[in-house]
Amino acid sequence: MTSERTLIDELLAEQQSLTAVARFARQHENGGVPAQARYYRELIPLDKPRPGEQYAFGVDLDACTGCKACVSACHSLNGLDDDETWRDIGLLHGGTIEEPFQQTVTTACHHCVEPACLEGCPVRAYEKDAETGIVRHLDDQCIGCQYCVLKCPYDVPKYSRKRGIVRKCDMCQSRLAANEAPACVQACPNGAITIRVVSKSEVTKHATPGERLLPGVFDSHYTKPTTSYATRKSMPANARAGDATAVRLEHAHWPLIGMLVLSQIAAGIFASASVIAVVSPQHFASVKAPLAIVGFVVLQLGLAVSVLHLGRPLGAWRAFLGLRTSWMSREIFAFGGFAGAAAGFVASSLWPPLAILATPLAHLTTLLAFVGVACSAMIYVDTRRAFWRGDLTFTKFFGTTLLLGSAGAGALLAWFSFGEAARAFAIAATIIRTALFGWELLQLEHALSEKNDPTHGSALTIWQLLRPLVFARVVLFTAATATGLFAIGTAGATMTLFAIASFLFTFISQLIERTVFFTAVIAPRMPGPFAR
Amino acid sequence: MKTLITKAEEMLRAWDGPLTQDLVQQPGMFGLGKVPSRLAPDDTTTMVCGYCSTGCGLKVHLKDGQGINLSGDTDYPVNLGMACPKGWEALTPLAADDRATTPLLRNAEGQLEAVDWDRALVVFCERFKEIIAKHGPESVAWLGTGQITVEELAFLGALGKFGMGLVHGDGNTRQCMATAAVAYKHSFGFDAPPYTYADFEESDVIVLVGSNLCIAHPIMWQRVMRNRHRPEIIVVDPRKTETAMAATQHYAITPKSDLTLLYGLANILIASGWVDREFIATNTTGWDEFSAFVVQFTTERVCAETGLSAEEIWHIADTINRGKRVSFWWTMGVNQGHEATRTAQAIINLALMTGNIGRPGTGANSITGQCNAMGSRLFSNTSNLLGGRDFLKAEDREKVAGILGIDPARIPQRNSLAYDQIVDGITSGKIKGLWVVATNGAHSWIHRKAFEDFAGKLDFLVVQDMYATTETAQIADLVLPAAGWGEKEGTLINSERRFGLVKKVARAPGQALSDFNICKLIAQYWGCGEMFSRWTSPEAVFQILKELSRRQPCDITGIVDYRMIDECGGVQWPWAEREGTSNFEHRTSNIERPEAERRLFEDGKFFTPDGRARFLFEAPRAAAENVDAEFPFVLLTGRGTSSQWHTQTRTGKSDVLRRLYPAEVYVEMNPLDATRLAVVEHSMVAIRSRRGEIRATAFLTTTVQAGHVFVPMHYAVTNQLTNPEFDPYSRQPSYKSCAVAIRGLPDGRWRVGSG
Repeated sequence: MTSERTLIDELLAEQQSLTAVARFARQHENGGVPAQARYYRELIPLDKPRPGEQYAFGVDLDACTGCKACVSACHSLNGLDDDETWRDIGLLHGGTIEEPFQQTVTTACHHCVEPACLEGCPVRAYEKDAETGIVRHLDDQCIGCQYCVLKCPYDVPKYSRKRGIVRKCDMCQSRLAANEAPACVQACPNGAITIRVVSKSEVTKHATPGERLLPGVFDSHYTKPTTSYATRKSMPANARAGDATAVRLEHAHWPLIGMLVLSQIAAGIFASASVIAVVSPQHFASVKAPLAIVGFVVLQLGLAVSVLHLGRPLGAWRAFLGLRTSWMSREIFAFGGFAGAAAGFVASSLWPPLAILATPLAHLTTLLAFVGVACSAMIYVDTRRAFWRGDLTFTKFFGTTLLLGSAGAGALLAWFSFGEAARAFAIAATIIRTALFGWELLQLEHALSEKNDPTHGSALTIWQLLRPLVFARVVLFTAATATGLFAIGTAGATMTLFAIASFLFTFISQLIERTVFFTAVIAPRMPGPFAR
Repeated sequence: MKTLITKAEEMLRAWDGPLTQDLVQQPGMFGLGKVPSRLAPDDTTTMVCGYCSTGCGLKVHLKDGQGINLSGDTDYPVNLGMACPKGWEALTPLAADDRATTPLLRNAEGQLEAVDWDRALVVFCERFKEIIAKHGPESVAWLGTGQITVEELAFLGALGKFGMGLVHGDGNTRQCMATAAVAYKHSFGFDAPPYTYADFEESDVIVLVGSNLCIAHPIMWQRVMRNRHRPEIIVVDPRKTETAMAATQHYAITPKSDLTLLYGLANILIASGWVDREFIATNTTGWDEFSAFVVQFTTERVCAETGLSAEEIWHIADTINRGKRVSFWWTMGVNQGHEATRTAQAIINLALMTGNIGRPGTGANSITGQCNAMGSRLFSNTSNLLGGRDFLKAEDREKVAGILGIDPARIPQRNSLAYDQIVDGITSGKIKGLWVVATNGAHSWIHRKAFEDFAGKLDFLVVQDMYATTETAQIADLVLPAAGWGEKEGTLINSERRFGLVKKVARAPGQALSDFNICKLIAQYWGCGEMFSRWTSPEAVFQILKELSRRQPCDITGIVDYRMIDECGGVQWPWAEREGTSNFEHRTSNIERPEAERRLFEDGKFFTPDGRARFLFEAPRAAAENVDAEFPFVLLTGRGTSSQWHTQTRTGKSDVLRRLYPAEVYVEMNPLDATRLAVVEHSMVAIRSRRGEIRATAFLTTTVQAGHVFVPMHYAVTNQLTNPEFDPYSRQPSYKSCAVAIRGLPDGRWRVGSG
């Protein structure tokens, strides 16, 4: 039986038939030649860069009026993921009541002469093309450590959680190779973006300290960016980014927080073992095993957690490739040595025939641990972010090492009934804790009140968005100090309980400190819009 | 040794692999240049964009007939291969997961429930017929759009008025273009924007009034940038917009003082003898009255009312006088005002008196809003009878009835209520049934609160839309799922009168049907299917529209078919049969081809009965609501960014576009005011008008004058504030001026010093 086809059925069927191809003649004679070339021919150079030269973006700010076509054209013509963009539009504004000023700014990778992303990459997943100077990212080499994201002062590399790697603008190198214009150049209705050939030494020469691509942008001396922004108008002295006063939190990077704090506990515990070996060799013999084992386990835990940070951990074994330039590589290398020495120390403390090696191995482990902590600190110092400045980062990292090392050792020694040694470490922990926390509060107070302090922005972020964490740390500091003092004043099981409590309060406090370390940092970037 | 290490190292670097392959490009062919291999097309087709009235040509990259990507169409005379972000992302919103995929009917529990088309259509007809039977034909109305095709608009309008017997239908075009339409109709005798985009390139003086071209119509700004005559670009706008920044002269006048300024300029031009007496004498009427009228607009008065200095006003006049080819352009800053029609006509007057019309690079040029606002103006059968005719004229009714083969008595002999009057009718209980097609009034209508109350006032509200999630669909009794742009065929008319083609490159989701097909079904279920037996396909309707246009100013009888539109890169009206000479070689057929860019009034003849343009004018008057002690700020509204479209039902569905505008509503205010109110940037402020209060994040910028604030229209809350005041001639709402108060709010953040 066939039922009669209704108008509804007919129209539903018709709606599903695609007719564009069938109904309209195709017109693409000479389809291999890009039609748009007639408009973009003059926007790209005729000649390839010669030795010592490279391609660079040129932006005519007077022609950039904020249509944002470049962003979506880049997205569509490069086939990027739905929410992925390699180009961005920001805003500079300022001026006076009489002479208001605003300027939209198109920006992408600056294909720097000295790319910080490339230097930071532990597995050499970046390549500065010898002929074109284009800074390419080797997607299949990337392990997703995201260090380049921290290193780039222009917020260019973007991490894709879905893919576990970073991707970025490659100046449409395959188009340039075929004498086609990059997507953004093709798509700007006003021809504001061009490709130029520049001399690398000229770029370097002009990137003197204090030079900036645009107001508020990072010092060009760092990476020698090649993009040039030109305008015939005068930029007012108070021109600032649309998002200049935006207070925002950066990524917390939980695995890194865990890795840093745990590895620093381990380093501190080994350091405590070294101290005991020097000060009281007879004690050392009886406490070395628990200290070595706990230190080793905590370190392994830290290293295991750090792997969670990698988008593609299986490639991490290549991390030695970046040793020449990357503090990330050096950290991984140093931690490898640290873990090896720690394992040796564990073996020597457990296996009597090796007992003679225990003391030297303890010292070696401590030495490598400190090298590791220093490398950890350098990872952040090397990003040149103010809040991660050397003195601040080293104080925090080594302060944490000593604080949690002594508090941990204290608790451990109390557990194993070495009351006197435990007390000594608890006293040390109390002094370090007070000094470190006091120093931190002074830093915060100073940065908050001094507008010109380079870390003023971070201080504002802390004060405006993270104040509950500051309060929590005050509470934790008080609790840790109180329990620590109780531990010092008591003995036996009570002491152990208080020492462990004091350690845990301190541990949580330092986890929070490290959360603030990551989230309150001001990541330098190109001028952004008012909000997203 | 070193090289050995280097070599070994290189071997450990993965230069290729699946992740690298993801981004590999290959020649796209079809004139595309390189494309991502993943998205390599097996064919392409061209069509016009369905967002704004610029009407850009887009080249859709097809795979198995389906659009997988797109880029600008290099050969299209409008955009020369360019597109704004909305255009680049035009295919994305089609795949949104909140598309309406089946008809939805509100059930007894008050929930929208999926039903089949048969049930939906039966309910549609039963409920509306019930209401009509009880309250008369005036108790059911429709609100249409400028977003669907000409053929669909004509079907909707003919079905509504001739088939269903309704009297009242209007469109969201009332919100954007009504003023220009009325101004042209009265000044030129027909709603006829005279220009072609080439005029942007030909002018030596470009005057933009209330138009932020860079953001609202970036591809038109492209044409300005292609101007090789180093034009003076004058921008009149209370804000220092992107366009004002790019202009050579910017005049930040007091909001709604534009009419006074324009009359003042006329006065200076006349007093200085900077007028084209010959053109005025030969081609216009009303000159004596007009020139006598503007005498009262002394420079002193204009200075006082506009906030400009005498030098500035004289400089504008002088620039206009020195220009050989002066073009005047206006957009929503003019159209959305309480005396908008007179303001538009004041611009027209300037063009007429200086003889800047009908020549390359001249004109009094309204830049339209929506992709098919112009189609709506001619063929929606709402304020005009089909083809730009008059419901009140018996001969027009008979003409249309004859062409359509219907009884002239079926054509209403009076005009429809305008949008605001329909809203009032609903509020007062006269209108009980409403059919909303492709518009989102619950977001966009001025003082939108009225719309929210509809749910309680209307007996039956039908919303026909691509999305079931619009603010308006959410309050509907019945939702009809519509196919969108790219899922159907038809034509759109752009700002410069160009018919462009929309093609079918995507499958509508589920049971969604084109508005054309929905009209066809309603006609059948209503019982008037016979009347539309010739309306079989969009192209068949296009042939009917050609007949309707015959010997009208918008005569398109010379456009043979869709293919001709496709091959010519769009065709501007008029293009009458056997008209014109062709400079084009015949490529594939013997059809006479129009020049790519044509303008009107080259012969100085207008569409009025006497062929003369009219000088129309009226004394300026204050807006209904002005600032006072309680509400000391003027609220300006407008487009936020080029990546946002109106109520965001589509642009909100693209991740890329969403990255390009602030997610939350914000208010731009001057730092002076912020200091006075102790508002810091990025903090929350409350904005209160007599109609409501909203919260927004403060952005401090000198581009907004002290005493003004600007809030983009794309956020649903904005129109809780606006004041329902209308231009008396065009009934267009005055969105750009109402009085508000601002106060800082604690936003949960601690601040230094206020902690």
